[in-house]
Amino acid sequence: MSAFEALTNALAAVLCVVGAFFFFVGTVGILRLPDFYSRTHAATKCDTVGAGSVLLGLAVLEGFTPAALKLIALAALVLVSSPTAGHALARAVYRGGMAPWTRPGHRSGGEPK
Amino acid sequence: MKRALTIAMLVLLAMPLLYAMSQLPPHGSATSPAYTHISPRYLERGPEEAGAENVVTDVILNYRGFDTNGEVTVIFTSLAAVLAVLLAGRKGDERPVREPAAEPSPPSVVVRFVVRLLGPFVTMFAVYVIINGHVSPGGGFQGGTVFGALVILITVVLGRSVAEKLQPLGVRRILQAAAPLTFVAVGVLGLALFGDYLAFPRDEALAWVRTSWLMVIEIGIGVGGAAIISAIFWQMGGDR
Repeated sequence: MSAFEALTNALAAVLCVVGAFFFFVGTVGILRLPDFYSRTHAATKCDTVGAGSVLLGLAVLEGFTPAALKLIALAALVLVSSPTAGHALARAVYRGGMAPWTRPGHRSGGEPK
Repeated sequence: MKRALTIAMLVLLAMPLLYAMSQLPPHGSATSPAYTHISPRYLERGPEEAGAENVVTDVILNYRGFDTNGEVTVIFTSLAAVLAVLLAGRKGDERPVREPAAEPSPPSVVVRFVVRLLGPFVTMFAVYVIINGHVSPGGGFQGGTVFGALVILITVVLGRSVAEKLQPLGVRRILQAAAPLTFVAVGVLGLALFGDYLAFPRDEALAWVRTSWLMVIEIGIGVGGAAIISAIFWQMGGDR
């Protein structure tokens, strides 16, 4: 294994581990956070940073091949579509009149509408 | 009376089907033709014999083309059934386009922008899936579904009037019937040129004819599928 190969392998491994970490954090967030808004926020982390990092890591592992280009295109797609879906969800619920959760006895920020 | 007639017709239809089923080899039997020679033949000779690199495409459009011809007709019939149920007692052809008078919630700029941005890419992917179905997994059904999903997305985000421009009213009925129509057209072409309905040329020199006929059917299925998915969505009031 050449030094370049070792370097790219290490980079790919780091990116994949970072992606797995964000998937884990996002999952914990969906299960543990108190209301819809914060859970949506956690869920979009899985797709953007989590899937994004894993796909980038795989692209680095693949090297300069058409498959790597496809992986990068996929990463770009989730990077665009997932935040949009999160935005649309949160916006619809906010306009529907759901108040964001605040810590009991810690009323700050405006009520919606 | 009508009910009795329906029951009689169903019983008449069930009898030959049940008889045919009783003649099938037992389920899982090792001597059933599917295991002894049919599948190996498809796998070994499919690409050279049927016109597509992808054996699945060979099977559904060539070896079992007659079955798929019926299948796409069923899909078209499902649209007719949905329209018949939803339009029952209503006058006119289809519900007129109704843009909500007062927007309860103006469409998000972000979502509109992203849909406009991704639309061409989704279209390109749908066309790729349809055209490439003869080499890799994919084909008319899958690509048509991708494009139908895009039409639904455009309807939800940009409004039904924008999405309807993709299917002009004059040709919409033809687009919805595109899959059975192209299938029958290719079938009749086979009947006229090679003597059998859905016959594909066997000659080695005519391999390109086989491939292009498969391609035409794929495109027909894709266009028809997309038109039917969006028509059912619109008819169910998905634009509201």
